[in-house]
Amino acid sequence: MKAKQAMITEQPAMPDSNRSSPPVATRVIGISKRFGKTSVLENVNFDVAEGETLVLLGASGSGKTTILRIIAGLEQPYTGKVILHGKDVTELPARERGVGVIFQAYALFPKMNVERNIGYGLKIRRRKRKEVRETVQQLLELVQLQEHRKKYPSQLSGGQQQRVAIARTLAYKPEVLLFDEPFGALDAQTRVHLRREIKALLKKVNVPAIFITHDQEEALELGDRIAVINVGHIEQIGTPYEVYNNPATEYVATFLGAANLLPGVIRGDRIEVGSAVIRFSADAHKFRDGQAVTLVFRPEDVSLTSSGDVPAGHSCIANGIVEEKSFVGAYERVNVRIDLSDSGACETDDTPFYLTTETPESHSSKPIIATRPKAQEICRLGRGQSEARPRSSCTVPQLCHAPHNCGSNLNLSFKLAGA
Amino acid sequence: MSSIIPTMRHVRGFDVARPLSIGVLVLMMLPLVFLPLSSIFIFGTSKGLASFWAALMAPEAVFALKLSMVTSFWATLFNVFFGLFAAYVLSKYNFWGRNALIVTISLPTAIPTAVAGFALLLLWGPYGILGRFLAPHGIQTMFTAGAIILANIFVTFPLAFGVIKPVFDTMSRSLEAASATIGATRVQTFWHVTLPSLRGAIVSGALLTFARAVGEFGSTILVSGNLAGRTQTAPLYIFAKFNEGQIEAANAIAIVLALFSFLIFSVLFFARDWLDVD
Repeated sequence: MKAKQAMITEQPAMPDSNRSSPPVATRVIGISKRFGKTSVLENVNFDVAEGETLVLLGASGSGKTTILRIIAGLEQPYTGKVILHGKDVTELPARERGVGVIFQAYALFPKMNVERNIGYGLKIRRRKRKEVRETVQQLLELVQLQEHRKKYPSQLSGGQQQRVAIARTLAYKPEVLLFDEPFGALDAQTRVHLRREIKALLKKVNVPAIFITHDQEEALELGDRIAVINVGHIEQIGTPYEVYNNPATEYVATFLGAANLLPGVIRGDRIEVGSAVIRFSADAHKFRDGQAVTLVFRPEDVSLTSSGDVPAGHSCIANGIVEEKSFVGAYERVNVRIDLSDSGACETDDTPFYLTTETPESHSSKPIIATRPKAQEICRLGRGQSEARPRSSCTVPQLCHAPHNCGSNLNLSFKLAGA
Repeated sequence: MSSIIPTMRHVRGFDVARPLSIGVLVLMMLPLVFLPLSSIFIFGTSKGLASFWAALMAPEAVFALKLSMVTSFWATLFNVFFGLFAAYVLSKYNFWGRNALIVTISLPTAIPTAVAGFALLLLWGPYGILGRFLAPHGIQTMFTAGAIILANIFVTFPLAFGVIKPVFDTMSRSLEAASATIGATRVQTFWHVTLPSLRGAIVSGALLTFARAVGEFGSTILVSGNLAGRTQTAPLYIFAKFNEGQIEAANAIAIVLALFSFLIFSVLFFARDWLDVD
């Protein structure tokens, strides 16, 4: 089952539409947009349920900001509709839509203090002063800025300004909250902190939200669902788990998380990757015999071994040479050059590395290549000989007979279990 | 040798260059600015404050000062509103001929004031392009207070615009977008968001325009006719009295004008923070 989902063909993802339980708060139907003759959005469809957070994830220039501006009414779509709580608002100007936009640069009014910024939406709705004061008080407590109520935006930190911006939109009970790269201007620490705060806040106020980001970590953490956008169309929509573990397209697989790609060919219920043969059982009928496919697998699914002991449930794929190792904190990133042309690779006893893969018969969820931090040994070897020795001491050069045609460059990372 | 030079320049941590350069600066400004300005005050008050006061209170002098203030006020009012409007249009919309308009608005600063006055005469004067059609109906624009206002408007045309436009340009577009998404109309957005950000620019633009208009001479003398007690502004009064040899009379007004501009620029300089921030 899982093995199949790692197989990528050219067919696009089916948008998941069978999500019917909570009522739809925001619906975008067939939106397309052109600037002059350039098409920036093509037939974009998605729903956001009541209280749900959807993250639009895409590279810069993918059109995600344009989607947001169309929902907000700051931009007109070329075709398509925007529906907020069942009401078609496509023709309405921004001020009549009642959406809350949190801009990347906050866009707080510089000549108003925190209180007046938050109360602005109610003031222009000509609400009673008492009501404005009470709402502002509640929101100040919600975003924990009571002691800063008289300050001006220029006197606040980035995170505080962001919270004011959110409170300012919550004041008039928006139909949907739109966050335009809200953490772009913050430092890494504040970003993570504020992200969690906002996530908790959104759950508390139960307002549907759409986030825009190019940061995958942010997307995975914030989104109830993620829509991956690539050059103006949605590649896949799903929960973070679905999108990460079952990417529908190669783009999704490589954009969200690190991924290894290997070209393969279908042979019955097996995939040939160079000389290696991997079995996959389920859904074999989806592929033709001889069809070229791309095998995608996560770095954490790769197991390296130098002893030839393939862990239970794993099958050996190829030999490789560690080309580069880099320390990235929680784990170590290892680049391995593998040789897919050497047919006898896995049988040789003195080969220091094997890439192994979990066979589909085994229980686990990870599709292609599993983790076994056997490379510890090699590292010990490298370190043990001399501290000053370069990291290339970890490589075993005799493995690859002709290094220049040694197959794909694998980007592997693995956890050093207990080391 | 080389070891001596640093000790000369820095005598035990004391930088000789500092007092030296400040001294040179003040010395250069002395004959160019300080002495001419102070001679007005020294000369004007040399016969005692009583005679200064008498010269100032002469009916023609009072009238000239008043006329200057009133005409400058209306010119300022117009130019601030115009500058605000022009800056709004020219920074918000991009259209064909936009840069040409910006250059045209800025042009009057580069035109000699005498040429400006002359141009107005050629248009509105009794034999001017438009004036010749108005004259038979008894409508006389030149040689009136209105003419002075027109001249003032012309020569101070770009001042307020020049101060307001850059603030408009640097103002974040997302502020207006934010205000719109919050639910404000264009008018509400302009009133609550745009205008407060422009307050400093409007005040300094107005002060600049007013200061410049009060001192205007070249164009005023051509279009006003320089009629004492009727179309004679303060600078024209100084010029006329000086020509008649009444130095004290000229000097009294000169002191007032000098103090006035000094006051305006002090406000501009020291209230900078208030004008800019809050």
